Amino acid sequence: MKNLILTLLLASSLPIGTAAQVRYEDIVKGPGADWLTYAGNYEGWRYSPLKQITPQNAGSMTAQWTYHVPDSGGLRTNPIVYKGVMYVTNSNSMHAIDARTGRLIWRYDDPQATKKGVNRGSAISGDSVYFTTTDNYLVALDRQTGALLFHKKFGDVDKGTTSTSAPLVVKDKVLVGSAGGDSGMRGFIVALSAKTGEELWRTWTVPAKGEKGSETWSDLHEWGGAGTWLSGTFDPETNTLFWTTGNPWPDFAGGPRMGDNLYTSSVLALDLETGKLKWYFQFTPHDVHDWDAQSWPVLLEIQWNGKPRKVVVHANRNGFFYILDRQTGEYLKATPLTDNITWAKGIDDKGRPVLVPGKDPTPEGNWVCPSIKGATNWMGQSFNPGTGLLYVLTLEECGMFTLSTQKPVPMKNFAGGAATEPGGQVYLRAIDPKDGKRVWEYPVGNTSRTWSGTVSTATGVLFSGDDDGHLIALDAKTGRHLWHFNVGDSLTASPITYEVDGKQYVAVAAGTNVFAFGLFEPVPSMALPKMTTTK
Amino acid sequence: MRRFIRNPVRAPLALFFLPCLALAQHGQVDLKAPDSLKNPESVAAGAKLYATSCGGCHGPEGIGGRGPNLIKRLARNIPDGELFATLRNGLPGTDMPPTSLSDDDTWKLAGYLRSISGPANQAVVPGDPANGEAVFNKAGCAGCHAILGKGSRMGPDLSNIGANKPLAAIRDALVPSKTDPSKNYQLQGAEGVKVTMKDGSTLQGIARNRSNYSLQIVDQKGDLHLVSMDKVRELQVKEGSPMPADYGQRLSATDMRDLLAYLARQSVRSAK
Repeated sequence: MKNLILTLLLASSLPIGTAAQVRYEDIVKGPGADWLTYAGNYEGWRYSPLKQITPQNAGSMTAQWTYHVPDSGGLRTNPIVYKGVMYVTNSNSMHAIDARTGRLIWRYDDPQATKKGVNRGSAISGDSVYFTTTDNYLVALDRQTGALLFHKKFGDVDKGTTSTSAPLVVKDKVLVGSAGGDSGMRGFIVALSAKTGEELWRTWTVPAKGEKGSETWSDLHEWGGAGTWLSGTFDPETNTLFWTTGNPWPDFAGGPRMGDNLYTSSVLALDLETGKLKWYFQFTPHDVHDWDAQSWPVLLEIQWNGKPRKVVVHANRNGFFYILDRQTGEYLKATPLTDNITWAKGIDDKGRPVLVPGKDPTPEGNWVCPSIKGATNWMGQSFNPGTGLLYVLTLEECGMFTLSTQKPVPMKNFAGGAATEPGGQVYLRAIDPKDGKRVWEYPVGNTSRTWSGTVSTATGVLFSGDDDGHLIALDAKTGRHLWHFNVGDSLTASPITYEVDGKQYVAVAAGTNVFAFGLFEPVPSMALPKMTTTK
Repeated sequence: MRRFIRNPVRAPLALFFLPCLALAQHGQVDLKAPDSLKNPESVAAGAKLYATSCGGCHGPEGIGGRGPNLIKRLARNIPDGELFATLRNGLPGTDMPPTSLSDDDTWKLAGYLRSISGPANQAVVPGDPANGEAVFNKAGCAGCHAILGKGSRMGPDLSNIGANKPLAAIRDALVPSKTDPSKNYQLQGAEGVKVTMKDGSTLQGIARNRSNYSLQIVDQKGDLHLVSMDKVRELQVKEGSPMPADYGQRLSATDMRDLLAYLARQSVRSAK
């Protein structure tokens, strides 16, 4: 084997060759064998056409492999899968795993990162995979080897900004959000070149002084929050991004920031090429309960007054489920997502909440439903075109909201008060997106620890997690239990499904590990190959 | 808060040092490092102390000899106070003696050890990085390694090598100071392999990982192949590192200096 490395000969193709490129069209097409973007497709459906696992055979699923992510805890990562390779992230690191076996292929770490925090995943395009460091660098890596392609700063930790979300790649752009809104920062969405990492545009989610919308702040808008810490969705037909924003700061103290506080707790429709705001809709004006709006907007076409209509649907932490016109942002309808909503009597015909007086945080404490955790959260929603249903993990929980009278100081972990999370009943609910009506619900625990979202398939199998650390499979039509598996830790991320070599897998990150499941198949005995060592 | 300890023999360092310092016994030790620890003059003075007191056992550049490789051991983030205490007290039961150096000189010695074991991009590395880049391409480095996407992706990526490795470790990779048999057992993720499939086809490259049941291999083009071992007839594994060991002979002293200067500056968080 002399001159082994310099005289490589590739004499045959192997069972899995990975030479190919991820194109924009591949992501537009949505999941098949691969899972190419955070929510599966640009419309945010978390839906897979795979058919191997069915309601009839899901009960025979078994664990296929486990990958331990070193130095991790409470993993939030949403795996990306392409050509048999799975990409998972941890704080300031990415791991490429053989998606058939769970064996590590390469790992990239950024030990010089100055901050450490949660990370929700990666994005893929061409031959590159992307993720962000907690201290706001976009990292591009060769998807096959993990070799660094570029490393570009896009935000400033000294101004309160960190990064936790998975990037979203659309065409030649990598869209990245911002986090840190609970201790003062100014949120933004930034588009960076997928080739070089250069900034192409930046849209601030809190207007600068004098700009339209700044009149909705009495003060503090330069530290007003509106983080964008969850990946958005995208409409290829209109070249429009849909991105939700976080709470205003200080979270619980509305006094220093009187007004609606645009564009916090909102959904923004942005032009992909320029970042220009096409329209916005604010779910919770002047939010004082830290509900924000972090649950990605799902893009659907529904029957509305007997005609098809393109809409954005959104299950919001404030307790309501919304239907908006996708082109204009016009408010169409809102219905209660949870049974316990005490801060608003409902939503008026303009989409504005009809407030119940006296529900703001007080120095003594004010008991309000939903709790700070919200009626749902960043685990998001999924939509199955076969059943026509939207699946949302919801929490029936109330909490005590207290107000601090201290003067707000940015970047000092000052939230303007505090809130309790005493525990509540979690339900996985199926909702008809045409009218918001609840079709079925499945209780998934009462400790409200689960942060697992959902994924569903063409055969009508719905996967999610419960409060007790089980990955579960339900019949997507009825909510009937099909299967469960105890992963031994809290589920803090959403499952995905993919296929390699004709086998369908369901994968989820939980605690410090990534697990993959599939239908049981006996493992045939194999003869180990002859192994030799050469000079 | 300052802490005082007496004779702190710590297991992690117990096998690191060999006798290079004169015997002496000192009393309590203030373990807070002085502000001058990274001062260039202090480090230079520490270098002289190292040459006369330590280099005989641990090698002139700290990469080992009769005594262990200090560059690798000190990369384990040993606290300053623990390093000082080990220099001061030696390691009973080993050939590493206590020192009679003053506290000030012992800290200078610790500062020098820190400087040679820290990231290369924080060290003063003489040479012409521009010529080093040319050498990187001319000498064949880019045939296996890449820096920010330029070069082959088959071997370890060097985009951040200056921030991740001490200068001595980079030099040791280019000019191995000695044949260390243990290097052959530390190649996980970098083994040269040739695979013969049951259908007779072959594949060669670097095994990023392998087990009895699956193999993940990158070929010279940088393409990844996922192999099921039940389809493999024979697996040949190259003994030792695929990294050529003769750069010390192939490159002139100037080119080697400039290549080191170039590699030492590879840090993705530094301005380019």
